[in-house]
Amino acid sequence: MAPLDTLLAGLARERSTGALLVGRAGTVFLDEGRVTYMECVQTPGVERLLTARGRSTEATLRGMQADGGCERLLAEGVLTLGELQYCVLGAVLDAAFFLLPVGGTRPKFRPGERHWLGGRWYFEVSGLLRECARRRAQLARIWPSAEVDTAPVRPAPWLTGQGVTLGRVEWEVVARADHKATPLDLARQLGRSGYSILLAVRRLAAAGLLVPREEPAPAEDPRLPKRSRQAVKAPSTGGSTGPPLGPAVTADPTDLALLLRLKKALEELA
Amino acid sequence: MLGLDDCLIEVMAIPGALDAMLLDQTSGMAVAVSGSPQGVDTEGSAAALTETLRATVDGLARSCPGDTVRIDDMLVTTDQGHHLLRLMETAFEGPLVIYVRLDLERSNLALARHRLRAISSSLLT
Repeated sequence: MAPLDTLLAGLARERSTGALLVGRAGTVFLDEGRVTYMECVQTPGVERLLTARGRSTEATLRGMQADGGCERLLAEGVLTLGELQYCVLGAVLDAAFFLLPVGGTRPKFRPGERHWLGGRWYFEVSGLLRECARRRAQLARIWPSAEVDTAPVRPAPWLTGQGVTLGRVEWEVVARADHKATPLDLARQLGRSGYSILLAVRRLAAAGLLVPREEPAPAEDPRLPKRSRQAVKAPSTGGSTGPPLGPAVTADPTDLALLLRLKKALEELA
Repeated sequence: MLGLDDCLIEVMAIPGALDAMLLDQTSGMAVAVSGSPQGVDTEGSAAALTETLRATVDGLARSCPGDTVRIDDMLVTTDQGHHLLRLMETAFEGPLVIYVRLDLERSNLALARHRLRAISSSLLT
């Protein structure tokens, strides 16, 4: 089965108009081969962003969708054309970032279907793919481990240094984090794009402001060598009660996190 | 009512404007570009400019204790020209940033700032 991006590239070449349903994960709307709108169940759409920011209510938006559509939304001054374009731009790129890697479902194409908020800003399929790749690279540059993207966000109870500067989204993440919500949960709650929350979480992780994940039993992780467990235990079975002199040679996830942080620190020095 | 593309046309009408760009501060992405000079990698320069802004906010947060930093605009003058960044708060993500490079001799900074303020208010209200 062809991955989603090749499928989209094909639809772009044929200058198709319609909706590509990607199972229950989301939908891509195209107009003459250009993307006009994209939805992903994991990320907040334009309607959610509008209601979360108090610009409108769900009922009003539903009413407008049924009668008058996008024209009425602009005419009644809920938001300006520039704002709508910017909002659609953000929502579509965010959906693309999470939807395009999805596999395993057979997408269905429904010709002719349009989204009521589409058609105000057009995306070339190639441009979308390039931007998604750039965003992935940017995340990796900030903090190389993707583990924090899906784990519950758990801010550290204390600072390792004397002070820290937080950006706006980072502040919102720290203020809202309840040690259970994952970054995408927080995005929905805060009405922010999933990607902006991922950026914030990776920045927090890079600054050492997140509690490292609880150590999972290494034996359960097939990627790690089996003997690592014994290596951890070795110092304590040696009879000494104090901490071992020098670190034990292990391949534990906590050590990996430390190594990644070290690597980043060294890269910054270079 | 201005759309994002028209907004760039207006920016380029500012006397002395050489090239302009709309940036999304959160993601570091170039939203729209007008007449970028030869040999300039748009994506790279958008990412670099938003990083510059981030660093500036961080720096100012350190130097103005008791304040939450909110930059309206930022001006950098080099030996070649002026670089003006105007930040616009939107209801959503952002800020959305207008970047314009101005000719050192032919531009008037006060006028350029005034025009940017007018453009950003007609874009968002």
